[in-house]
Amino acid sequence: MGMAQKQDVLRLPAERLYAEELEALKEADREVKPAGWQLSPKSVLTFITGGQVGSTTIKPKYIGNKRLVEMAIATLLTDRALLLIGEPGTAKSWLSENLTAAIHGDSSKVIQGTAGTSEEHVRYSWNYAMLLAQGPSDQALIRSPIFRAMECGGIARFEEISRCASEVQDALISILSEKTIAIPELNREASAERGFSIIATANTRDRGVNEMSAALKRRFNIIVLPAPASLETEIDIVRRRVSEISSNYELRAAQPDDDTIRKVVTIFRELRSGTTLEGKEKVKPPTGVISTAEAISLLTGSMALAGSFGDGRISDEDVAAGLQGAIVKDEEKDRIAWKEYLENVMKKRGASWRSLYGACAEMNR
Amino acid sequence: MAEPVRRLCGDEPVNGAREPHFFGIRHLSPAGSYHLLALLDEVRPTAVLIEGPSDAGALASQLVARGVVPPVALLAYTAQLPVRTLLYPFAEYSPEYQALRWAARNGSEAEWIDLPTDVSLALNALRQDRSTEADLPNKSDDGVPASTEDTFEGLPGETNTGELQRDFYARIAELAGEPDFESYWERHFEHRLGHGAYRQSISRFSEEMRAWTAGEERRRAPHEAAYNEIREAFMRRKIRETLEGGHDPGRIVVLTGAYHTSALNASLPAMTDEELALLPRVPTKMTLMPYSYYKLSSHSGYGAGNAAPAYFELMWQCMRQRELDRLPALYLSSVAARLREAGTYRSTASVIEGVRLAGALSAMHDGEHPTWKDLRDAATILFGHGELSVVAEALARTDIGTAIGSLPEGVSQTPIQDDLNRELARLKLGKYKSLVAADLALDLRENRSVKSADSAFLDLNRSVLLHRLALLGIRFARKQHRRQTDATWAEHWVLQWSPEAEIEIVEATIKGETVELAAAYAIHEQLLACDNMADAARLIRQAGECGLPQVAGQAVAALQRLAVDAGSFAQIAQTQRELSVLMQYGSVRRIDTAPLLPILRQLFLRGCLMLLEAAGCNDDAATEMMSAMSAMNAVAQEHDTEVDEPLWLEQLKALAVRDDRNPRLSGYAFSILLERNEAGEETFSSEVARRLSPGMEVDLGAGWFEGLAMRNRYALLSRDYLWRHLDEYIGGLEPEPFKRSLVYLRRAFGAFEPREKAAIAELLGEIWGTGAEQSGEILQRPLDEEEKERLDELNEFDFGDL
Repeated sequence: MGMAQKQDVLRLPAERLYAEELEALKEADREVKPAGWQLSPKSVLTFITGGQVGSTTIKPKYIGNKRLVEMAIATLLTDRALLLIGEPGTAKSWLSENLTAAIHGDSSKVIQGTAGTSEEHVRYSWNYAMLLAQGPSDQALIRSPIFRAMECGGIARFEEISRCASEVQDALISILSEKTIAIPELNREASAERGFSIIATANTRDRGVNEMSAALKRRFNIIVLPAPASLETEIDIVRRRVSEISSNYELRAAQPDDDTIRKVVTIFRELRSGTTLEGKEKVKPPTGVISTAEAISLLTGSMALAGSFGDGRISDEDVAAGLQGAIVKDEEKDRIAWKEYLENVMKKRGASWRSLYGACAEMNR
Repeated sequence: MAEPVRRLCGDEPVNGAREPHFFGIRHLSPAGSYHLLALLDEVRPTAVLIEGPSDAGALASQLVARGVVPPVALLAYTAQLPVRTLLYPFAEYSPEYQALRWAARNGSEAEWIDLPTDVSLALNALRQDRSTEADLPNKSDDGVPASTEDTFEGLPGETNTGELQRDFYARIAELAGEPDFESYWERHFEHRLGHGAYRQSISRFSEEMRAWTAGEERRRAPHEAAYNEIREAFMRRKIRETLEGGHDPGRIVVLTGAYHTSALNASLPAMTDEELALLPRVPTKMTLMPYSYYKLSSHSGYGAGNAAPAYFELMWQCMRQRELDRLPALYLSSVAARLREAGTYRSTASVIEGVRLAGALSAMHDGEHPTWKDLRDAATILFGHGELSVVAEALARTDIGTAIGSLPEGVSQTPIQDDLNRELARLKLGKYKSLVAADLALDLRENRSVKSADSAFLDLNRSVLLHRLALLGIRFARKQHRRQTDATWAEHWVLQWSPEAEIEIVEATIKGETVELAAAYAIHEQLLACDNMADAARLIRQAGECGLPQVAGQAVAALQRLAVDAGSFAQIAQTQRELSVLMQYGSVRRIDTAPLLPILRQLFLRGCLMLLEAAGCNDDAATEMMSAMSAMNAVAQEHDTEVDEPLWLEQLKALAVRDDRNPRLSGYAFSILLERNEAGEETFSSEVARRLSPGMEVDLGAGWFEGLAMRNRYALLSRDYLWRHLDEYIGGLEPEPFKRSLVYLRRAFGAFEPREKAAIAELLGEIWGTGAEQSGEILQRPLDEEEKERLDELNEFDFGDL
């Protein structure tokens, strides 16, 4: 693949980004590797949750609940498909990509679920020119990522599965239970090699998703990824991701300082939970989802604003613009909720919040 | 402190047989029982020495009697106040219980060798006083079983010096890569069934832990360390006594918490007679009682296996059949079955996948079998689709279960159980001691058609007993709420016996030897803590219901004391209401209510004098005030000859015409007067005219009317001049005051029933001369959009200038 040589791509897949770590883990791995796995389950766990291998420090990729990662790995050990459910910003795709990179070494076999995803994307389609010229043949067959993962005993990823129409979702049922794809045109069927599995992700709280059938749910081991449990964890996640993204995209602005991150995360947590952090005051939550992912994109957005139009440092006005966009989605109601929050909570927070309050109030007039 | 004694542990042959076999356990550990039985079968001891109160020998033999079904508990309590308790619960899989059973089966001597309860309870009292500032985890605060002292501490850290060791345990779990210490423990101890493995590793583990923490414990909690040394010295004494009794040391097995094993060898000095004589003692009593897995699981600060007793019992059964491999399948099938019972279908395929997942989780930790945590997580993923909440109830049912132990007739009946049975027989209530709920209607009046006093007052005596049981929190009888039509002499109860009730009655034994004494003690205790009049009055009533005149007397005295300090008007009124009710049916219950009268008079007087001042409150407080006024008024009417009723009416009249009090309360006072015919038409109409005149502040007028309408609406509906005045008043208002009055009036009429509204509409129709029916129709029609909008605008009406 030509891509493999290119270093100057927008975003590197996990197995390239962390190639050194994976190499070190492989080197040191003395445990039994399940069929089709490039690492032992324990090394996969270390890769995801961090640790030390020889002289190499393994960065933690998923912060929070180590037990959930154990459960995800154990699921893949039993040849079951894994479904990660959570709100935006709970690191579903991130975890799915890194798990695949660690176990299989190739996280690129991905289907992005959309309303336009069809059954062919899940199974296989044809190169029609070749099909017309030669009739059905192996060469004319275009294999889906799942098909390819089955052939090589690897892991395919299915992102946002709940965005697909039900009949497309249902196409997975036979694949997951039979572990084969029938190709009647060629009068054969492709069977999965050992090690084949699927990691799907779904977001249940968003609008415009399709309910998953019970039959499909039964074929997955489902793990719900929680929103970050504490303020500090969430701040940590936001800080890491913002710095990773900004270096990927070469945003020409300074990283947001800890104080700014803390304020944004505080606002998000309070609006999400409907009470202030100390639990004393009720807050009207806005209609949309207020996720960690949005806090991250808000801050990187502010960095882009500051870098392109400002002096390279994030100002309260940049943050206020971002907050306005992230929180006020359903115009009227959200605007009122946001205004109430500003007046009832933020205004009373004292001097350190005053300038951000001023900027937000100005923006939300 | 004991030097670590390596010789104690392991399966090496006893050299020269000079030492008994020490076996350290964690309490409620199935693997402990499993290995213990293996050791007992191997050594075939002539004496089995067990950590447990040495003065409970007789109960130990009852514990293994035929018909005893665990979980059961040994309860020790001080005979004097304040009552302190010790509780030793036993499950089927408790090593101590299995040791007793083995000894009974094989004709060996079994003896408990820990401090006798009279010493340990006395020492506990000292320890607790000493360490109140240390805030012990199982400090008592609510009644009996929770106040239980630590009884067993298998591992270090299960003593109540807590925090330091808890940190250690968290560290151990982290180092082992386990989610928590219990998982570490289960994986590395409970699952290891190899010969001698358990004994060796637990002994080593405890020794090291003790070496780590002992110095720190002595520094931080010297009294705890001292208490342990006393116990161990005593246990060494008992071991020595057994040796001197002629038992071959090689045929003695000593079973204690693992924490103690390293401190029990003969090289350390045993307690001397002089030392023993120096120990403090308090008189104690002991009993066996049925216990439940639920209690075992909710017993805080307690050792291993407590979180999931039913799970550990399942584990024990699997171990005994040497089929520990089956545990995951059994457990998860059971969870699935519970889910199905509750209507959530989960397939056998899911169970199979769950077993596989739990196995994979266990394998990631190099475990032999899945732990409880692995199984629970597998259940959450496979049955709950990732949501713990879906499976939480099924898990709890499977983990804790509903098992309740039982003791056969004749085994260690507490005096209070005997007393209750006697009482039930005497009052012909024996047949109600059944698991099926039954209704019981009581007529408290004297039955004049029978001869003996006992049968004449049968129902009254029954009521007394049931009230006493309810007071003691024994779930046998539930009193149903009386319908208003019923008289004070009628009571309605639902009776249902349950094993929990049996446990609760045994627990009540520490409050008294009989139901009567226990009830008196319970009220007495509440009385000591009582610091307001309303509670004291309630206690008088309860003492009356429980047929405890003496305690009632104490409560009256307490009330008198409290009544001297001024309470709020509401509290005073509430107290009077309680007293009044009590005095009314005092005769039915044969209670002497004479001492209550002076208190009632005193409170009534104070209430009258406080009325005017208390009525100067805001609208929030006014609601409470109204019910208090209503209560006072009821008292005035019921005891009109005993209290100063004219004063009450006088105060009401004063309040009714005041403009500087809360207008709603003035209106309410007026409505009481109206109802009692204390305000004639003339007074009423002139007051209405005054209140509803254009010169009056709008909120004074309309608020007054709102208060007036809170009470007897028929009294208002029957007075047409009221409506004429109201009509004129509203008609004469300027637009701005009109809007303001509308807020009050709308609120006042909002509470009227449709029938009443119709009546008003008719009245107005007559006044306007438009015909009753027609105007009724117009007035009752629902609001249209525009009108609604304009009313909604009023909701944001600015009262800033009030």
